[in-house]
Amino acid sequence: MNITQHPDLLDRLAASYALGTLRGGARRRFETLAREHATVRAAALVWQTRWSGLTELQPQVAPSPAVWTRIDNLVRASQLEQALQAARQAGPTPAPGGWWRNLLVWRGVAAAGALATLAAVGVGVQVNGGLRTTTGAQITALQQQLQATPQIQYVAVLADDQAAASMLVTFDPQNNQLVLQRVGGFREGADQSLQLWALPPAGGPRSLGVLGPDRLLKLVAGEADVRQVPALAISLEPKGGVPSATGPTGPVLFKGALIQRML
Amino acid sequence: MSTRHPDSELMDLLDRIAARDDAALKSLYERTASPLLGLALRIVRSRDAAEDVLQEAFLTIWRSAGSYRASLSPPMAWMGLIVRSRALDALRKRSSDRADRMNELDDEMAQTLEGDSPNPMDAADASEQAFALHHCLGKLESKQREVVSLAYLRDQSHGELAEQLRLPLGTVKTWIRRGLEQLRACMARYA
Repeated sequence: MNITQHPDLLDRLAASYALGTLRGGARRRFETLAREHATVRAAALVWQTRWSGLTELQPQVAPSPAVWTRIDNLVRASQLEQALQAARQAGPTPAPGGWWRNLLVWRGVAAAGALATLAAVGVGVQVNGGLRTTTGAQITALQQQLQATPQIQYVAVLADDQAAASMLVTFDPQNNQLVLQRVGGFREGADQSLQLWALPPAGGPRSLGVLGPDRLLKLVAGEADVRQVPALAISLEPKGGVPSATGPTGPVLFKGALIQRML
Repeated sequence: MSTRHPDSELMDLLDRIAARDDAALKSLYERTASPLLGLALRIVRSRDAAEDVLQEAFLTIWRSAGSYRASLSPPMAWMGLIVRSRALDALRKRSSDRADRMNELDDEMAQTLEGDSPNPMDAADASEQAFALHHCLGKLESKQREVVSLAYLRDQSHGELAEQLRLPLGTVKTWIRRGLEQLRACMARYA
């Protein structure tokens, strides 16, 4: 029997096929006919389109604010990844020190810092409340708290390449010092030191000091050292660090954007 | 309220998303997240899983908005199909490790048939084609409407529906067959 001659049967089969309840051998026979006859194909398409309307007819449910935060973070991360990929393709073998001057990577660092801000808030919650999860509302509240804390005009969260927060950096302008708090589990070897670098918008990285082994560290720094610096990074260096003019010689372990508190 | 057709506003947003405009993604999310989460929840039945589906779906929309125009679909239908596809993936993944939660899942499913109102569907923002379907579904008995909807949304066979809804297989087959016949007659008038 040629079902193209039986419009009612064709319509019934197409409706069942598109609904999904036509199964097994009957489904395969219908698919074969659809490949052979445009009329069958068209009937299936009509019903697929009709049934797809079911997706528009369900009761609405408002998502929690955290869902958009997660989407936004993942979109930013994918944009960062693309920027880094473009940077790698643009210069496959950078000259010594060239990596640091690559503008795209710099922008990438700033974007990574935006992600790290969230990680920082997460850390804050764990420190303050012992909670393991954060909601959008909590994040907002903590950001406000962070911004309301007096005497902190700059804050940075330095994260590793897994976006795990490893170092919380705040600048205290009253005492002219950078306060660093280790929040990750990283420990340098006995013959190694961590060194903090400012990554200014122009020129090479500038050393802000070498870190001791303590969990809470303080480095002397003036406001001029951090003003208009978009990002900070920490490299692993030989014990005692390297001169600022040399630039980092070891791997960059942690980096993040320096965020100025809105006054 | 704009006088423009909502579809053309959503299509403009999708065009901007295709051009990597992340502000447009936020606007699209604000406009469509609630209906799309409702859809995901109907398929996966758990709020956490539904929110994960919504997240996945928006990342898919971000990546593939450039192919929207070629689909020739109303924008909500296109996004609805993305959500349904992600939700079905999540269901399949869950069914592979749900043996211990089977009973709990059954209870949830059973409730969906008991507590349905005459026509619980929300057609406020629906496209024209969905509105026709809404009208025709509204003429079915609620249990027929329910099994037909679940067959499509959850991509379930007669047997799977019977098992999950704890109904005799013959009953499910009859409801779907009668529901389909009425719907076909009604939808033919909108062709």
